Amino acid sequence: MKRTFGALALLFIFGTLLVVANPQHGLKFGLGGEEWEKHRYTDQYYIEHGLEDVGGTNIVTDIVFDYRGYDTIGEATVLFTAIAGAVALLRPWRRDEE
Amino acid sequence: MNVLPFMIIIPLLGAFATPIVGLAGRRAREAWAVLVSGATLGVAGKVLYDLWSTGKVLVYTLGARSPLGEGGFPIRIVWELDLLSGIMAFTIAFVAFLAIVYSLEYMSHDTGLEKYYTLALILELGMLGIVMTGDLFNFYVFLEIMSIASYALVAFRNDTWEGIEAGIKYMFVGSLASSFILLGIALLYGEYGTLTMAYLAKLMGENFTLTAKIALALLMGGLLFKSGAVPVHMWLADAHPAAPSSISAMLSGLVIKAGGLYVMARIAFSVFGLGVNLKTLGWVIILFACLTLIVGNAMAIVQTDMKRLFAFSSVGQVGYILLGFGIGLAAYGTDVGRVATAGAIYHIVNHALMKALLFMVAGAILHQVGSKNLNELSGLARTMPKTTAALIVGSAAIIGLPPLNGFAGKWLIYESSALFNPFLAAIAIIGTAFCTAAYIRVLYTFLGRPSERVMGAKEPGNAMLVPMFILVVAIIVMGLFPWAISEKVMVPAASMLANIKGYITAVLGGA
Repeated sequence: MKRTFGALALLFIFGTLLVVANPQHGLKFGLGGEEWEKHRYTDQYYIEHGLEDVGGTNIVTDIVFDYRGYDTIGEATVLFTAIAGAVALLRPWRRDEE
Repeated sequence: MNVLPFMIIIPLLGAFATPIVGLAGRRAREAWAVLVSGATLGVAGKVLYDLWSTGKVLVYTLGARSPLGEGGFPIRIVWELDLLSGIMAFTIAFVAFLAIVYSLEYMSHDTGLEKYYTLALILELGMLGIVMTGDLFNFYVFLEIMSIASYALVAFRNDTWEGIEAGIKYMFVGSLASSFILLGIALLYGEYGTLTMAYLAKLMGENFTLTAKIALALLMGGLLFKSGAVPVHMWLADAHPAAPSSISAMLSGLVIKAGGLYVMARIAFSVFGLGVNLKTLGWVIILFACLTLIVGNAMAIVQTDMKRLFAFSSVGQVGYILLGFGIGLAAYGTDVGRVATAGAIYHIVNHALMKALLFMVAGAILHQVGSKNLNELSGLARTMPKTTAALIVGSAAIIGLPPLNGFAGKWLIYESSALFNPFLAAIAIIGTAFCTAAYIRVLYTFLGRPSERVMGAKEPGNAMLVPMFILVVAIIVMGLFPWAISEKVMVPAASMLANIKGYITAVLGGA
């Protein structure tokens, strides 16, 4: 019963995502020309101003370390947390040490 | 001076430096954790005061003076705080500080404590980052920081079977919920080409597409999970009892609210508010709220494990908060809606205080007696009178007895739901009846005849009692001025949350 319901729900989510992936109803793929200007204006800004704003020739590093550097601090923290968590959980048990 | 960045800098520095400071020994490590969380509390207090006294939305751009580039749209990450964010940040810093002080004694028999304090500070950092941010992807990053720290902390006692079991369960379903949220964000970015919440809200008001609706559904699904609403509450009832009690206090009091309820309100009002039909969205949330109210409170009655009872009661109280936000959306723009939202915000703060207190009491009993089974704990009032007094205050507050803080928040929710739809008020009252039954049962156990198990019990030390009594004092003081707090803080916060245009213009500068 639960399993059937879960499978049906998954099927439904899959169906809606297929609708989203259909360019006539949802997201467009392979944007160019006017559609690029309409949907990817932020990317266009980074490409045009990245060199003078930041000074790096690599757009991706310009974005990841300057425009959105705060997210990168967050990602580093995620990694630090994951390591701290893994080390904390793999430490010896209390009774083993005694 | 703008102290806002220090709300992130201090816990970030604190967490990353803990492994190094920990080399100087146990005392240094504990002092460092208390110092860092205390300093964060000070900064959060200043930020809350600034937000409250100016009544403006506070915007801070990372890396430039203005969030807007030459194109007139935001290109950098912004922090955007309204009064609700300020209230959340202060509550988080306050309860996290008390939980860290409490764990000085509570965790003293555990090993691996330098990792414990690192993770606890990161948990606080993640929650503060969530309530401060005005950027959708940045919210996801901090949600992951908070979630990963809480997975590790739930399973921190790796020599107990329930810790590991709950940790695995929480991690598997939690990562699934996070990926729903990420998928929703990806769809929104693909459709609108921006990640800044305020600009996204403006674009959605102009053109609300099918993709945005599906993204909203994915985001809401993930956030309902993170807040422990009913069809997806099962992780909460396992994770909160299995975690160390200082962490349960943070999980139940803060994590489900910062990562779930706050963001749900922010996304529903501030991001999707101009596009989506608020009435429909409100009724969807109300539906989950009613289920959560009934199931959470009813399941609390039948528990024999004290921490599990409190965990189910948290599910039930999440129901009230959801009900408040749901009515606030469904009756958007009316007085009823504003009162309901104010009640939900008030109840978030109240529930954070009282549930932190109750989990700290449960932790004190577990630490001193070694059992959290209610059948073994009768007559604890005889041997641990101070702890029992704290328990009585906490449970009276959570039921909503008038002299304490729980009353006012719940009253606003009852009143607005009765005006909105009497059927919802009836459900809320039934939920409270169940909740009362559950807590009366706990109190009867404590006031009964002492069992053998509790005869030798002693009160815990000051490091555990003092945080508990600070919370008791906070609950009583907030209970003495319920209407003043509601008028001066909670209603303005609700109005600021409902003012969608104000949230947008704060970033876009009148554009």
